[in-house]
Amino acid sequence: MDTAPLTVASPEEPQETLRILIADDNDSDRLILQTIVRKEGHTVYTARDGQEAIDIFREQSPDIVLLDALMPNVDGFEAARTIKALAGDDLVPIIFLTSLRDATSLADCLAAGGLDFLSKPYNRIILQAKIKAFASMRRLHETVQRQRDEISLHNDRLIHEQEVAKQVFDNIAHPGCIDAPNIKYLLSPMAVFNGDLVLASRKPSGGMYVFLGDFTGHGLPAAIGAMPVSEIFYGMAQKGFSLQDILREINKKLKRILPVGVFCCACMYDLSFRKRSAEVWVGGLPDILVYRKKTRVIENLPSRHLPLGVVDNDRFKTETSVIPLDFGDKVFLWSDGIMEATNDRGEMFGEDRVRDVIASTPDADAIFSAIEAAVEKHAGRGEQDDDYTMVEVTMVNEEDMGEYFSDRGKSFLAGGPKDWSMTYELRPQTLREFNPLPLITHLLMEVPGLRPHSGKIYTILSELYSNALEHGVLGLQSDLKASADGFARYYLERTKKLSDLYAGSVKFHIDHHPVKDGGVLTIVVEDTGPGFDFKAREQASHKKEGYSGRGIPLIRTMCRSVRYLEPGNKVEVVFDWHVDV
Amino acid sequence: MSTNPERHVDVSALQDLKEIMESEFETLIDTFIADSTNKLEELAAAIAASDADALRKVAHSLKGSSSNICAGELSELARQLEFMGKEGTTSGAAAILQQLRGEFITVAAILQKNI
Repeated sequence: MDTAPLTVASPEEPQETLRILIADDNDSDRLILQTIVRKEGHTVYTARDGQEAIDIFREQSPDIVLLDALMPNVDGFEAARTIKALAGDDLVPIIFLTSLRDATSLADCLAAGGLDFLSKPYNRIILQAKIKAFASMRRLHETVQRQRDEISLHNDRLIHEQEVAKQVFDNIAHPGCIDAPNIKYLLSPMAVFNGDLVLASRKPSGGMYVFLGDFTGHGLPAAIGAMPVSEIFYGMAQKGFSLQDILREINKKLKRILPVGVFCCACMYDLSFRKRSAEVWVGGLPDILVYRKKTRVIENLPSRHLPLGVVDNDRFKTETSVIPLDFGDKVFLWSDGIMEATNDRGEMFGEDRVRDVIASTPDADAIFSAIEAAVEKHAGRGEQDDDYTMVEVTMVNEEDMGEYFSDRGKSFLAGGPKDWSMTYELRPQTLREFNPLPLITHLLMEVPGLRPHSGKIYTILSELYSNALEHGVLGLQSDLKASADGFARYYLERTKKLSDLYAGSVKFHIDHHPVKDGGVLTIVVEDTGPGFDFKAREQASHKKEGYSGRGIPLIRTMCRSVRYLEPGNKVEVVFDWHVDV
Repeated sequence: MSTNPERHVDVSALQDLKEIMESEFETLIDTFIADSTNKLEELAAAIAASDADALRKVAHSLKGSSSNICAGELSELARQLEFMGKEGTTSGAAAILQQLRGEFITVAAILQKNI
């Protein structure tokens, strides 16, 4: 290369150009100061008195102000106060130019808003140092201010987002029928951000589910899990799924979506008014207390399970405790917030205190508010910052619920397909490769109110289908199944014949029509087999029951009628069902 | 002039100031002399009127500007007048003003010589 750089970059950092206001009534002093500052590369504005200084500040908003203390008209102190007021939140370093020496005068300078002094005679080095120091102080202040504004903006946005999130949560995690007359509950308005959740739903079959959940952690991470829990709970409860089904589904979902270490302590309570009992599942929450109204005895139902979202469904247990209940008996569910509320000595509220409160409250209907008051007194906190979640469910005569459920009950049966029929024919390829039962069951479960009968319906369908396929289409003899050995041979043969199947079919004809508070479901299954002498078989089956022949008698106990039609390749089952109110 | 200039003006500091001011140095000297001449009259008026506060203010200003122009003795005399003003008195100020006037004439001469 034959070209050399023409300039060499200075190793020093480039001089920052500041805009500096100098106010001094003394012409020669002002001239000296102005010359020094200008030589440092700054832009200078000059004023002869305090008023001029204020006017220039207003127009130019300089970065630093050098202010003589004693000036005619408006003096330096007055000017400093006005300039500070004009600057507002911005930091405008004011340096007093003074040959004042006494402490009182210097204190006056500080009181007026001065940050430093420059004494006469002026020293160029000191002046340089001060300007540099105050320039960086000003930059620092600007940075802090900008960050403060950003933080404040972020905070505003966060609060706004929380409000929006809360609205979404409130819509999804709505409390269902938590305001039913037999339920009392305590739940902070922002409980979802404490990770607490209370859900209640009426069951289509009558009775109600109550769910209390307590997610680990706080804030948005704790709140996230509330959405799927609520959706699953309400979706499945209204379709009539069992407590076990709902818990399994919630557990599966939470296990899949929640990070390790985040889970949901929960209890689910299934109250049946008609049976006067309740089923309870508790996972990781404090003991549920059952209060017997007549005897005033308190029983504990401890947690017997892991919280939701901890283990996979194959290890998830849904065993429940069944408790018989009399009218007026109460069950208390809570998150650990109540039990662990501490007083100023660090003592937790605890179950003993709960029991004391109950024991000293003869009026059963006053227990709930007595516990609430006792916890608040114990913790000495206002209602504002509580994260106490507590639910009391009272066993009542359903008639005593008054109008509460009367309208809602109807709506459970509203909508959905109620009056219809269909024919579904399965030909060889389908018979070989496809099990139609889940699909048909799923279709039937769309009938409003039929869900609680899904177990029976599945039993009926599977018995009729396997008879039609195995005996009708495949021609297998059920006599084979009379011995354990034959049972195995039967299934070997079934597999072989099915894979070789190229002709025949099974036809479902399903008809549903509604009646008051229920419906009539008729299932006809027809196969292409030759049929069988069902009259003889029916008589025989009364006498002996071996490995075979158990299915149809069982079905007879579930249905209004089971009828074979000639020539024995067609069977009709009529199933009556009613909403269990 | 027979007196040693160093007793009135810090000449080496003045040279530094001259370097800083460059072409403005002459203006500075002219400004200082004109300004100080006015101040001497204001001081005389304040003493004549026994106005201690005016004495304090004008003397304070002169104290500062003469220190900046490296005239230590002049600044010291101004300080004495300022102190009197602050004490609320003008008695005896006339004698010091007389001394200050002489000092100013000497300083002005040295400054003009250094341009």
